[in-house]
Amino acid sequence: MWQQVEQSLHSSMGLVVNKIATLLPGILAFIVAFLFFLLVGWLLSLLVSRILSALRFDERMGRGAHAMAEWSPRATPSLLVGRVVFWCFVISGVVVGGSALGTSEHIVSGWMLGYVPRVVGAAILLLAGNMLARFVSRSVLITGVNLNLSYARLLSMGVRWMILVLTGAMVLDHLALGGAIVELGFGILFGGIVFALSLAVGLGSRDLVSRSLEREAARPVEVAQPEKIHHF
Amino acid sequence: MAAVEITEETKQQVERIGSADVVVGVAGAVSPEELRTRVGRIMQELGSGVSSQRFVFAWPAAPEPPAEGVPTAEDPTFALLPFSPPALGAAEFWAGISANQRAVLNLAASLNARVCIVLGQDLAALDPHTIQLFTYAILERQCGVVMSVYPAAKYDGLINTGILSPLSRALYGRRVRNPLAFDFAASGPLCASLARVSTAAESSGAALLWPVTVAATQFPQVPVGQVHIDVQHKVATEGLELSAVLGELAGSLFQEMDACASHWQRIRGSQVAPMWGNSSLDSPDGQPIDTQPLLDSFLLGSKSLDEVWRLLLPPNTLLELKRLTRVGPEQFRMPDELWASIVYDFALAYRLRTISRVHVLGALTPLYLGWVASWVHEVSNLGGAGTEQRLEQFARAWEEKKPYLLSRWRWPDRFNP
Repeated sequence: MWQQVEQSLHSSMGLVVNKIATLLPGILAFIVAFLFFLLVGWLLSLLVSRILSALRFDERMGRGAHAMAEWSPRATPSLLVGRVVFWCFVISGVVVGGSALGTSEHIVSGWMLGYVPRVVGAAILLLAGNMLARFVSRSVLITGVNLNLSYARLLSMGVRWMILVLTGAMVLDHLALGGAIVELGFGILFGGIVFALSLAVGLGSRDLVSRSLEREAARPVEVAQPEKIHHF
Repeated sequence: MAAVEITEETKQQVERIGSADVVVGVAGAVSPEELRTRVGRIMQELGSGVSSQRFVFAWPAAPEPPAEGVPTAEDPTFALLPFSPPALGAAEFWAGISANQRAVLNLAASLNARVCIVLGQDLAALDPHTIQLFTYAILERQCGVVMSVYPAAKYDGLINTGILSPLSRALYGRRVRNPLAFDFAASGPLCASLARVSTAAESSGAALLWPVTVAATQFPQVPVGQVHIDVQHKVATEGLELSAVLGELAGSLFQEMDACASHWQRIRGSQVAPMWGNSSLDSPDGQPIDTQPLLDSFLLGSKSLDEVWRLLLPPNTLLELKRLTRVGPEQFRMPDELWASIVYDFALAYRLRTISRVHVLGALTPLYLGWVASWVHEVSNLGGAGTEQRLEQFARAWEEKKPYLLSRWRWPDRFNP
């Protein structure tokens, strides 16, 4: 009996070692392809950024691309194009490396390769959602402070989290993770928040909100007494 | 740089008139009948002193075809020139005024005028004395640009007092009280340059006209003058938000700073801008002003906008602001150097787009209100002469702080006190 145990252990060990041995070339191919595309992408992005700077791309784009500059202030258009080129090559490297890995061992199936565009789309959604949340929350904060709203920071935080939660739900939906649970969960959460606010405004905090609204309406628009201080 | 376009109808009118010595333009819609009446009266009062000069009075309106069968009796000493106003779209407060000012200057350049006088829409400055002063300063004193000095009370025009005037003086080296005025004059050679608007400014919507900036950067040898005119312009403030107007004016000046960086970095100190005309008597102070709402805005800003100010201001400045929040209302004083460095830092953040430019300008409002509170505390017990001295001291602090701006502008990542 012990001989049989020893035999089965030997054979399973042999199987595992074989699998690792057959997997290793694929992994090496993946790493080489990824590093190669990373290097090429970095060089090309540098080259593209330099060429666009020499062509004064930023100045020409500046005439009509203020929306882009406002959403992503630190990144000039040429820098953004360079980054897009870099990440395109990185993704290509992942795809090529993944297919090399898949060819050698059939571990990476067509389904996984087909999933890569979803991941890319989800990453873009996440990035856009984050940028939108940051921009809108900061706008609400600054506008609220300039309107002398003491709860401006709270309002800003609420807006930021609402956008981030919405973005998270869209990303999960795009990745087809969680299925109906995500949709249902998000619907319950959002609907619950809106319903709770409606109840609070309509019933529970009616007096408080009406007193607060009356105070806001009675407050003069100008911060300083308009008849004594003239800003312009 | 793009010039303001003249429509075909206006071009025909300009060709009919030919040329003029003095063009007086109104930068806004006015009643043609009222304008004609006042112009007739002004020309009578100016009398023989200007008989050798040909005047053209221009205003934005639809050109009127001459009535059929009625001969148009034109006075040889003056002509009336309605011009088609520039298409403005949804222009902000000052942008519309600047567009009309440029249109007037463009007309003056087309008419080869020696003097172009631009007046406010309310016609408050349309009187013989004002025209004589402007004409004297341009023709006799050879000034390139002449700006107005109004009899402002110490709590009037605080955006100009606190930001526009000292910043313009420190950058371009001209001690001009109102770098952005409803009424000003320009000599013939400068009209075409003033009428142009840079492409970047036009596309960003910050296309305000800064006559002193154009004169100092493009015609540095030409003097800039000032005239006292006893006029109070009534600004319709209904519907205007302070933060929106502050953002428009400061944003435009920051935009000009970025465009003219190679010029103002070479300028050190400032030159006196000669003044003509009689300054009017000081207006009485009236009752003391309650600065608590201003301080409340500043304190709310420092509590809520701390995360935004941290991105725009260096640690030293943030520390000073923190210290100010702990001071009592009566002892609240914002040092001149601190306020100057704050505005310089915001100008730099605007240029570098550290955050969205709209947010940079919005975050300035609570700090500005804090400065206003401090200013009110400082000048409330001062008379006219004392306030003038305090203004001069304030403007000098900005000039002395200019090396700080230069260091931060040239090495934004390395120099961060």
